[in-house]
Amino acid sequence: MTMFHFFNCAILTFGPHAIYYSATPLSEYDTLGTSVKAALVYLGTALVKVSENDGFDPYQELLKAVIGFIDVAGLYFALTQLTHRNISQNHKFQAVGLGWAFADSVLHRLAPLWVGARGLEFTWDFILQGLEANANLVLSISLAALGSLMWLRKNKPKTLIPIIYACAGIVATMPSITSYLRRGLGWHFPKVVGFELFTSLSMAFISWQLFSACQRPSS
Amino acid sequence: MVLSKNSGGHRGMQESMYSVIALVFILVACVELCDAAAAIDVYRLIQYDMSGSAYGSRFAVLNHHAASLHFPPGADLSRAVLIIPLRELNITFVREYINQKKPLGGLLFLLPDIFSFENGGNKQVHEKEKLKNLLAELEQLLIHANIPYPVYFAFENDEIDTVLVDIKKNDAIGQPATATTGGYKLVIPTPEPKKVASPTITNIQGWLSGLKVDGDTNQLPTIAIVASYDTFGAAPALSVGSDSNGSGVVALLEIARLFSLLYSNPKTRGRYNLLFGLTSGGPYNYNGTQKWLRSFDQRLRESIDYAICLNSIGSWDNELWIHVSKPPENAYIKQIFEGFSNVAEELHIKVGLKHKKINISNPRVTWEHEQFSRLRVTAATLSEISTAPELLQGTGGLFDSRQFVNETAITRGVKLVAESLARHIYGHQGKNVQIFADGGSLAVNPAYIQSWLDLLSQTPRVAPFLSKNDPFVMALKKELADHTDEVNMQHEVLEGVFTFYDSTSARLNIYQVASVTFDLLLLLVLGSYLIVLFSFLVITTRGLDDLISLFRRPPSRKVKTA
Repeated sequence: MTMFHFFNCAILTFGPHAIYYSATPLSEYDTLGTSVKAALVYLGTALVKVSENDGFDPYQELLKAVIGFIDVAGLYFALTQLTHRNISQNHKFQAVGLGWAFADSVLHRLAPLWVGARGLEFTWDFILQGLEANANLVLSISLAALGSLMWLRKNKPKTLIPIIYACAGIVATMPSITSYLRRGLGWHFPKVVGFELFTSLSMAFISWQLFSACQRPSS
Repeated sequence: MVLSKNSGGHRGMQESMYSVIALVFILVACVELCDAAAAIDVYRLIQYDMSGSAYGSRFAVLNHHAASLHFPPGADLSRAVLIIPLRELNITFVREYINQKKPLGGLLFLLPDIFSFENGGNKQVHEKEKLKNLLAELEQLLIHANIPYPVYFAFENDEIDTVLVDIKKNDAIGQPATATTGGYKLVIPTPEPKKVASPTITNIQGWLSGLKVDGDTNQLPTIAIVASYDTFGAAPALSVGSDSNGSGVVALLEIARLFSLLYSNPKTRGRYNLLFGLTSGGPYNYNGTQKWLRSFDQRLRESIDYAICLNSIGSWDNELWIHVSKPPENAYIKQIFEGFSNVAEELHIKVGLKHKKINISNPRVTWEHEQFSRLRVTAATLSEISTAPELLQGTGGLFDSRQFVNETAITRGVKLVAESLARHIYGHQGKNVQIFADGGSLAVNPAYIQSWLDLLSQTPRVAPFLSKNDPFVMALKKELADHTDEVNMQHEVLEGVFTFYDSTSARLNIYQVASVTFDLLLLLVLGSYLIVLFSFLVITTRGLDDLISLFRRPPSRKVKTA
């Protein structure tokens, strides 16, 4: 029953992306192009990044956090520089975030899933990986939302600007935080995934609040 | 129209993405990763036909769930592999299963470390004998039965011990592993066993010439020292036969070494030729010895004064036996026996004489000397075994490992044979002369014996699986060439009574599998999660009305067109 297990883990990992696309008004506005472009930009930034190592080394981690900001730069590029069809701010960040998260899942999780989940040996790893992909989707969309707030919206309430930048900083450094937890503190995979899910939901909530707060003056 | 152009562009991009994904899939599918919980080396029970009847385990491929001896009574084991450690073996249970032909997916026997070469130590001395006897009994049961499922042997180690503990726990709560309840799956991916085509047996002989005095045209008399070097056991990949007949081979090599030292100097060269024979085909009624003797020149055969065959002289304390087929009253036999007894007395060894008549019409050949006797050559076998072994018994099986052989016993045996031969050759019968005295240059070398015994205890030597140019056979030839003047190899085909099948060792993968119900449950959970997510997103972004309208769309369309 190993192809079965592979199928289960695949729908857990990639299903939410498809569901998000079809459930929200994104599908009505045909924003697939935007998502695909965002996915390609992600692949580009992934090539720029250095490969990971096993131990936790503060200097290395700092370097990786700096490199992690290339993520943010890539997202900035996707949001601002690419020519999008005339779609509203609301939908642009969602499409970009969706494309970004989908590319991340495919790049990091498809190959291990294909090779590992089809084998006879059963582990919980692939289900946890799928949950991680879900958390990652939420995080990418919140990061894209905050990014669009930072760079695309010109008139923002003054008080909210530092909060926006702080939240964006936290979300951008999430990969470093999780790798520190896994290697520096030695947390097991289920614990790390639980932490990711919790933080992604809370960050999504915060960025939703910020987004609606910024939207009120203009509407 | 603008829409269609853009959608065409999108389709192009989609296609390229799909092709990239497909390429990744193909690349990744070529990579094979080992993801098993444990992977261990296993050795298969021998599969052979004798006179048309099939014996041994007839299958090699294994792909079943694991079960232990604590299975609930009445459970269906036809698709399960029973894992039985030797310590918990109940031989009547196995005998019942095999004799009543109860269906079983497979058998895996776990042998304690003491039977493997690497981990031999003097642990639990009293248990060693019990385990040895139990293993000998199990072996005899298995090689004479026709078993229609795979049977494998493996050595105990930490990985498989933890797996077995887990399996026992599962079985104890009454939940044996099947496709729907998960558990452990044992997989051995090996090709179907094929017949070994024309198995060869190789006899190696070494000739040490005696001193020929000028003007003497008669052929010098010859003394032959023979030992068979091949084995037969339940697991051919583990049949190292340290005692049967590794001890005989080692003794022969040491005697050859000692006499080559004596014969290297013409002043001490005896007036006898010495013929050393390492024969193969021992377990199969000494087939190789028969072929070797038949290849002799008539004159050579007549010049053989007598032959001494060595068989299992590695684990005796104080008593050895000389087996003969000519009656003890025969002058030659008396002479040989007296010579041995005299030397034995000085070495504090007790030597007994056993006589067993040969029946030429019976193809069964119990001792190697019987092949000489059938061609009217005087011969005797020196052995620690007092009773004649049955066919395929005592031929170096699983239990015959390095642990149970004593180098000092071999050393004393070598001294006994060498001194007796030397006294006969140099005419010192009855005189108390120590030619191979300890501490002299002709002393028996225990280090030589030990190193060759160690090598033999690591080399499985079942004849059909030894090719003509096997490195071990070449090593024996080279060693004999060092100690003799002339070495010859004779390659023969093992006669048609026996047919062997290959696939003697494999790698077992143990997987921990989840049951089908687990996968179905997971699918149910994920399906409901995705549906909930979908509904949540539709409600929050488009409103509840849209969600309801999704289910009412077909009727509304009809209404529109109408």
